[in-house]
Amino acid sequence: MTASALPTTDMPTRFAPPRLLVGVAMLLPALGFLLAFLVLPSVILLSYSVLSQPQSGDIGLPFTASSYQRLISSPAYRHVAMTTLRVALFTSLFTSLLAYPLAMAIAYGRPLFSRITMSLVVLPLVVSVVVRTYGWQLVLGNSGTGVLNWLLHVLGAGTAPVQVMFTEWAIVIASVHVFLPLMVLPLAASLARIEPSLNEAARVLGAPAWRAFVRITLPLSVPGLIAGLTIVFSLTAASYVTPQMVGGSRGLMLGVLLEQQINTSFDWPMGAAIAAVMVGIALGATAGVEWLVGRRAAARLRRSGAR
Amino acid sequence: MTAKATAAKVTSRAADLAVSGLTKVFGTTIAVDGITLRIASGELVALLGPSGCGKTTTLRMIAGLVEPTEGDVLIGGLRVTRTPVHRRNIGMLFQNYALFPHLSVAENVAFGLEMRGVSKAAIRPKVAAALALVQLGSFADRLPAALSGGQQQRVALARAIVIEPALLLLDEPLGALDRNLRESMQVEIRQIQKRLGITAVLVTHDQEEALTMADRVVIMNGGRLEQVGTPEEIYSRPRTRFVASFIGASNFLHGRVIGHDGSGLRIALTGGGEACMSHSDGETKEVLISVRPEAVSLAALEERAQHGGSGLPATVQQVVYRGQATHVHMTLDDGAPLLAFLPNRQGEKAKEDFSPGNRVWASWPSSSNWPVADG
Repeated sequence: MTASALPTTDMPTRFAPPRLLVGVAMLLPALGFLLAFLVLPSVILLSYSVLSQPQSGDIGLPFTASSYQRLISSPAYRHVAMTTLRVALFTSLFTSLLAYPLAMAIAYGRPLFSRITMSLVVLPLVVSVVVRTYGWQLVLGNSGTGVLNWLLHVLGAGTAPVQVMFTEWAIVIASVHVFLPLMVLPLAASLARIEPSLNEAARVLGAPAWRAFVRITLPLSVPGLIAGLTIVFSLTAASYVTPQMVGGSRGLMLGVLLEQQINTSFDWPMGAAIAAVMVGIALGATAGVEWLVGRRAAARLRRSGAR
Repeated sequence: MTAKATAAKVTSRAADLAVSGLTKVFGTTIAVDGITLRIASGELVALLGPSGCGKTTTLRMIAGLVEPTEGDVLIGGLRVTRTPVHRRNIGMLFQNYALFPHLSVAENVAFGLEMRGVSKAAIRPKVAAALALVQLGSFADRLPAALSGGQQQRVALARAIVIEPALLLLDEPLGALDRNLRESMQVEIRQIQKRLGITAVLVTHDQEEALTMADRVVIMNGGRLEQVGTPEEIYSRPRTRFVASFIGASNFLHGRVIGHDGSGLRIALTGGGEACMSHSDGETKEVLISVRPEAVSLAALEERAQHGGSGLPATVQQVVYRGQATHVHMTLDDGAPLLAFLPNRQGEKAKEDFSPGNRVWASWPSSSNWPVADG
C-alpha cells in the first residue's frame, strides 16, 4: 500500500500570526520602558561627563575631558575610588566566607532546617536598608553606649571604646549584612545542583570531609560563587545609603561623593564622570571575577555540563 | 594501549568481610533488621531484593556512609563500625557513576591515590595501568561528560580498584545502562574482580545480574535475609515462596500429604491431580509446592495416562509467543494460576496449538516439585 492511497483530507486551519512577531510584540512594553527610563537618562548623564559647565551653570558644548582629568589627578578623589574598591573587595570576601556554611545548610540540610535557615537569611531583606543601617549605628557607636563597646566593656576587654563607626570597617560590616542573602542564594542553588554522590565518592576514596569540600564541592560551586561575587561587589561599590550613614568622612565612597557633587556642588559634569567610573567598576568587576575565579574552572565546568 | 606499556600493575589487598547483627532504624521504620553475613576474601556476593528491602542501606553501612543503629562491620577481621568512611580503604561504584565532572579521567582515577599521599611520579603509572585494565588508556585527558555511560562506569571502576581496596562495593552500578551494554559490563566487571581477587558486594534488584555475576546471592526482604546461597541453590532450592517468586517465575500449588510410597510422599493437589515429592521437610500435612514453569509440559486431557510424574488438569487462558519460549497461562480448577514455558526449539513447530479455553493436562517430573515455606 502506498502513501498516496491514504485519505488526505486536511484539518481546517486558522490564521496564526508568525511566532517571532508575537514575541517581539510582547517584549515591546518592557523594552520601551527600559529605553525611556534607563538607557536614555544614562546616556544623557554620561554625556554630561564630557561636556562643560561654565559659571552660568548651563551644561553644553564644547566637549572636554577636564572632569576626568580632575578625577584622576586629585589625590582626594583617587582616595575615594580606592576606598570604594577596598570596601567592595572586603565585603565580597567576607560575604562569601559567611555564605558558604549558610548555603550548605540550605542545600544539604533536612527540609525543615533548610527552610528555616533560608527564611533567616532572606528575612532581613524585607526590612528597609535604612532601618537596618540605623541598627548598625546603634551597634557600632563609637561612644561607650554603642552595643559593641558596651559588650566589650562588660566582658572586660580593654578600656578605651573601639572606634569602628565612621570608618571603612563600619561600611564593610553593614554591607556584609545587607548583601549576604544575595551571595547565599546563588551559592545554595549551585550547591544543591551538585550530586550528593560526588561527595560520597570522594569520601569513600579516602578524602576527609574538608578535603572533599576543597577538591569537589568548592570547585563545583564556582558558578554560584561567581554570580554572588559579581552581584555583591558591584552593589557594594555602587552603594549609597550604607556608606552615607555609617561611613562618615573617613569612609567616603564614590556613591556619596557623586551625590555631593550633584546636590551640594551642583557640578554635574564631575558627578557624571564619577557615575561613569562607577559603571566602569561594576562592569570591570563582572569581567574581573570571571577572569580571576572562574576563567579556567568555569570553562571546564561549562564543558562538563555543570550550571 | 595495553598494560604492557606501563611498569605498574594493578593489584589488590582483598580482605574478608563480616557483618553481625547489623541494624538500621530510620525514625520508626526498621530498614535493616539484624543482618549477619560472612563474605570470604575474593568472593562476590550480590544483595538482591525488591526496592525498600534494605540492601542499599546495608551496603552504605558497610561503606561507612550510614551509621548502623546496632551491629558491627568487620573488614579483614578488624572492627570498622566506628571507623570514618575515608579510612576504610573501600572502592565503590555508584549507579550514577559519580565521576568528578571538573576533573579529567586521569585526575578522577588519581584522586584516591592523591588522598593516600602517593607521590605524583608513582601515581602516573598506576593510573595508566588502571585505565589500561578497563581499556580506556587513550581517554585519560577527556572530561567525564565526553564519555558514554558505559565508559564512565569503567572509569569509575578504574578509580575504585587503583587504590587496591580491601573491598569493592557496587551500588546498582549498571542500572542506568541499556540491556546489551549492561550484559557485557556484567561480564567485564566480573572478570576484573576475579582476576584481581577483590572481595565485592553487589547491590542489585536485577535477578539476572545477581545470577550472572555473583558467587553467592543474598535474597533480602523487609530488612532481613531471606536466603543465602549460590545462584544454583537459590534458583533450584528456594526456601520460601518469596524467594521462589522473586528469582525466576514459579507456580505455587497447595496440597495435602495423603501417604507414602517407595519414591516419597504422595500429595493430593487442591486443584485436582496428584504430585509425588521425595524432598520433605518433616511430616507436615499441608504443603506448598513450587514448580518452575519450564518444567511443566502440556498434553491433551485424554493423554494424561501417558504422562507420569505429577500433574493436574488446567484450562488455557492465554498463549504468548516470547521468542525462546511460548508462555502458556492457565487456571486450575480451584482458580489458582498455572504457567508453563514451552521451549521453541529451532525447526520445531511450536508444539501442539493450545488456544484459550482448551482443557489440558499439565504435568512435570516429580523431581521438579520443591516444598517452600509460605512466606
